[in-house]
Amino acid sequence: MAQQKIDIQVSDQDQYKVLRPEGDLDVYTVGSLRDALGSIVEEDSPRVVVDLDSVPFMDSSGLGALMGGVRRLREAGGDLAISCTREQHLKLFTITGFGEGVSIAPTVEEAAKGFRNE
Amino acid sequence: MKLSLRWKIAGGFGVLVALILALSWITFSLFGSLRSVQRKVFDDALPGLIAVDEIVRSYTAQSAAVRGYLIGSQGELLAQYHAEVDVTDFWEERGRALFNAREERDLLSQLVEAGGSFQGLVDEQVIPLAEDGNRSQAFRVLGQEGTPLISEIERLGSLLRDTQDRVVATTQEGVRTRSNQTVIILLVVTIAIVLLGLLLAVVLPRRLVANLSKLVEATRAIGRGDLDQQIDIRSGDEVEELAVRLGEMQSGLKRLQQLALQDRELEIAASIQRNLLQRSVPEIPGVHLVPMQRQANLVGGDWYDVDAHENIITVAVGDASGKGIGAALMATVALSALRAERASGATPKMIVDRANSALRDATDSDSFTTMLYVTLDCRSGELIYLNMGHPAPFLLRPTVADGLTARGYFMEGARNRAVGWFEDPGYQETMVKLDPGDRVILFTDGFLEAKSADGEVFGDHRLAAALTKLAPLGTDVIAEELVREVESFAAGKLDDDLTMLVLEFRGDPQWRSKR
Repeated sequence: MAQQKIDIQVSDQDQYKVLRPEGDLDVYTVGSLRDALGSIVEEDSPRVVVDLDSVPFMDSSGLGALMGGVRRLREAGGDLAISCTREQHLKLFTITGFGEGVSIAPTVEEAAKGFRNE
Repeated sequence: MKLSLRWKIAGGFGVLVALILALSWITFSLFGSLRSVQRKVFDDALPGLIAVDEIVRSYTAQSAAVRGYLIGSQGELLAQYHAEVDVTDFWEERGRALFNAREERDLLSQLVEAGGSFQGLVDEQVIPLAEDGNRSQAFRVLGQEGTPLISEIERLGSLLRDTQDRVVATTQEGVRTRSNQTVIILLVVTIAIVLLGLLLAVVLPRRLVANLSKLVEATRAIGRGDLDQQIDIRSGDEVEELAVRLGEMQSGLKRLQQLALQDRELEIAASIQRNLLQRSVPEIPGVHLVPMQRQANLVGGDWYDVDAHENIITVAVGDASGKGIGAALMATVALSALRAERASGATPKMIVDRANSALRDATDSDSFTTMLYVTLDCRSGELIYLNMGHPAPFLLRPTVADGLTARGYFMEGARNRAVGWFEDPGYQETMVKLDPGDRVILFTDGFLEAKSADGEVFGDHRLAAALTKLAPLGTDVIAEELVREVESFAAGKLDDDLTMLVLEFRGDPQWRSKR
């Protein structure tokens, strides 16, 4: 399975970081997101909002990486929230049940309000 | 220094041409100087000798002519004397032009002076005395004063001739020395050129050949399968480039070798998975079940399992997240746990809970599995299912009109979360009562996520429409036809597994009679 890279824009807010992947999040590209989340886990009380509005397609690998990120960040005393307006992704969160317990909102700011471990 | 082979060859050839041109120039200039020495002999020394001889001879001839005249009183002899005087003048003039050295000039002027004295004696004393009839006195004057002058002329002539002989001797010596030098210089330059030529023709190709031999050895070793060749060539030309590329090719081959090994391992994994997945579907009266699976790769994360016990048929469909070996291993874990727990007679909730625990233990936090666990009572048509984060099953219910066409809708019942991630994903069941002719379609997300060329997904609306449209074709072909539609939608590029089970409830009379 050849790994491909996608661009992930990282921006700093006051209390958290925003990751904005640009492109499909699937089994081929998910390594980029996993790496980006991995480097944030190293920080103190790492909080991050992943903005999925520039991700046209996400499969179970992408979802798995996000959920893995939630678990690792919470273990490190931080959290991961998701900013998303795309129906397709929201449906995926609903179907798999992963939306429960994770802050998912249409904007980055609203998503950040739902951080746990505050 | 980076220098391509082309420039090395061109440079070597250029140096050789330059050396040959230099050799030609040296040869020409040496022969030129030899010619200038020879010219000095032929243009100066030899004419000088001739001039001296002619001057001395003409004075001697003058003396002889005057003596003859005194003896025989013949007028033509006097005329001959005058003619010789002209000859003497001519050669003295030539002599002045030819002799440049100080010694030569001194001797010539002494000679001319002595000659002048002799001609003065003859013209002013001897001839007038003879014309006056005093021939014997004239003879005596000529004898006493003229003869010593002629002797002096001959002596000076002899000295002058010696100087010319010396010039000839010196220049001959010069010619010899110069030609020896020429030979030596030509020899040295020729040897230098030959050595340089040898250097270019032997040393450079030798290095080239040595480097090429290294490459040949390396390629032979690579051919034998030894992919750890260290090819150290630093010639700065195409050969070095070739060595670098060969090194890269070697790494590429290594990677291919590893891939081939992985392929072999993958085939083994695929074979294990085939044995695990493809169990014959049990024949149960009242139910017609058609499974369909199309894997995107050799191994995949989709799985299904069918079991029948008395009048209860159990169908489980699962989809492990991700792809490839990792997903296949998760499928194996889920299936093993599920089968083991079911064999012990546990309830569906317990069975799925066991699979959840097994997956949580076995996999990392990025992996999960969605699952539908369905039981159908073939007698009553009572269908109970657990939806663990999986796409909802689809129900095709025949319309009363013709019994072929059907209405279809997703069975949006109670939802639980995917397994393998949460300690308690929830185990809420949904119960549906099926009528004969109802078809329940279980499928994995590969159908929903199939992407068209412009990135659009197939989605649940298209799926519902397609299934409803295909309903009249019959249970056996629905799945295959749907795969064809999805493939055409995705322009042949499907990179996820597709699994679909069509479960038709017929309500067999066998059960009814027993009811």
